Amino acid sequence: MSRFMKSLLAKYMLLIFIAILLVQLAYLLVGSLAIFGFNIIDKEVGDTQLIEKKWHEDVEGLQTVNQDTMQRLFQEWKEDYPRAGMFWVNGDGELVLEEDTLQELPQKWGSVDTLTFNKNRYDSDPFTVIAFPPYKEKNGFVVFELPRSEFDPPILKASERYGYLILIGVFLLIAFFIMMSFMFFRKIQKRLVKLEDAMKIRDEDGLPIEVTTKKEDEIGQLEKSFNRMVHELRDSRKREQEEEQIRRELIANLSHDLRTPLTKVRAQSYTISKENLTPEGHKAIEAIETSIENIDRLIENLMSYTLLMASKYKYDPRPMDITRFLRESVAAWYPVFEKENYEIEIELVQLGEWNIDPMWMERILDNLFQNVIRHAGIGSYIAIKTKTTEKYDAILIIDKGPGIHHDTSEKGAGIGLTIVNMMVKGMGLEWDMDSNETGTTITIKKMK
Amino acid sequence: MARVLYLEDERDIGEWVLKDLTSRGHDVKWLTSGEGMDAHLSETDIVILDVMLPGLDGFSLGRRIKKDYQELPIIMLSARTSVEDKIEGLDFADDYVTKPFHPDELAARLEVLLRRFQKQDEVLELQHLLIYLKDGIVIDRESEMEIPLTGKQYHLFQFFIKHINQILTKEQLYEGVWGERYIEGDKTLMVHIRYLREKIEKNPASPTIIQTIRGIGYRVKA
Repeated sequence: MSRFMKSLLAKYMLLIFIAILLVQLAYLLVGSLAIFGFNIIDKEVGDTQLIEKKWHEDVEGLQTVNQDTMQRLFQEWKEDYPRAGMFWVNGDGELVLEEDTLQELPQKWGSVDTLTFNKNRYDSDPFTVIAFPPYKEKNGFVVFELPRSEFDPPILKASERYGYLILIGVFLLIAFFIMMSFMFFRKIQKRLVKLEDAMKIRDEDGLPIEVTTKKEDEIGQLEKSFNRMVHELRDSRKREQEEEQIRRELIANLSHDLRTPLTKVRAQSYTISKENLTPEGHKAIEAIETSIENIDRLIENLMSYTLLMASKYKYDPRPMDITRFLRESVAAWYPVFEKENYEIEIELVQLGEWNIDPMWMERILDNLFQNVIRHAGIGSYIAIKTKTTEKYDAILIIDKGPGIHHDTSEKGAGIGLTIVNMMVKGMGLEWDMDSNETGTTITIKKMK
Repeated sequence: MARVLYLEDERDIGEWVLKDLTSRGHDVKWLTSGEGMDAHLSETDIVILDVMLPGLDGFSLGRRIKKDYQELPIIMLSARTSVEDKIEGLDFADDYVTKPFHPDELAARLEVLLRRFQKQDEVLELQHLLIYLKDGIVIDRESEMEIPLTGKQYHLFQFFIKHINQILTKEQLYEGVWGERYIEGDKTLMVHIRYLREKIEKNPASPTIIQTIRGIGYRVKA
């Protein structure tokens, strides 16, 4: 029950209840104000018979009949019945005196006029009493008329005469009710919008932030549910991060465990290479060295590939001066190509900033240069260029090797290029490889 | 000749590196864990640290060393190759070499660091030049005369020597020597290299000490 009392439904029902009560109260208020407050309604008029009787008595009881006495009579009655009309027609059929009559009256009354008047007024509105003063042949007749609405109950009269007041009152009430409703829903709306905003805001983990719950109503319940959901999200994010950490650790440890024996192999082969060896022995040692290098790269690529596939490879892009970056990367690789007696051609024009992760870009370039060393040794040529066209800016790596065949993932070039592909795409760049028997051109493009 | 402190728990690798570095003339102290490391630090020129060690790992040890001995160069030598590990390592260490490494590479990097930290009272012979690293004096061996260099010229030359055999881009040189961001098109560096060559090269028109690497930058090769 207490929960119901706190609900919005209960509040709204209370609002409507009060509104209905108010309408009733308003009528009562207007009515009572009209009756007691401002005295805007006449005194009790009394019933028609009483009026008829009294009018007859007063008119017939006149001692002298002339304009003055008639005028006095009219005045007396006017005090009692301010909305009444009265007139006197004398024995010659002339309209002598007229007081607030309700309709235009003829100045001269014939028998037909009298009869018509009599007929029209019989039992109709206004209530009409015709009385004859003494010596009626000479003094004619005196008429009293009063609108029948005067005999209505006071509230009816009020609504007729002061209807606009009630109308204004009702209008004000409706306006008040609309305003209350508006404020009521406005408050709900505000809270909902606040909740919606809270759903949009994200903390550093990309999760929504909890909201403070003040009320226990339906929206309060919603806010609580929302907070519960945020909690669950947070928990699951934490679990995910822990799993990610375990995964990284696992891969890092695996790579470590593979590399340690590899290092021992290298230690042994290096020790052997210092002995007096036959040419064949030297060749064997060289083959071991190459294999160590290859396995090392393979472990590295496998590790990166696993992380990339699971979208767990650390990605931290920022605006980088790509030409400068490329120059420094080439500077590190230059001695390697130099040692292999490559003809090196470098043509770098300023390209501006690319939004990239330097670690990723370094990885891409390492893999591509590594491929050139491994597969394009025959050509002994490498060119590293930058190019700018209307559609894109690009890095070009050109060799004169026998070409890379897509179908055969020979000597680990496959996984290396797969990583290049994933990383290039991952940074929103494009690349293509144009390879034939006379050489390979790799283009990494940033579309404009 | 340098005093090397080497931490490695793998016996095979440890013995091999000890033997190789000793044969290159270094005085190597090899420990299999961080225990007792502190006693040797004050008599060490350079530290080579493995990451996976029993007890405290290489990262923690390295940070501790750098806290007390800022001027002691550290090379991380690890089979952990992930980006995160390298970033964590290079946060305090001066170089990060991954296993399986070639002993020549390790030795070369050792030399570079020793030179950068000027741990040895070394005299570098460079073609017809004799360079006294600690005193900052350059001598022409043929005339046996000192070559006077201005402050900026010596600074520039010293930067080359510290990064000997390394190709340096004009950005790296400018920012390393002038300490300001390089602006494309600035001729200051080129002018200073020309003056420096006029002083140290036998034939400044075809320089052999400061090589131009077209499209990239410059290099001083030992």
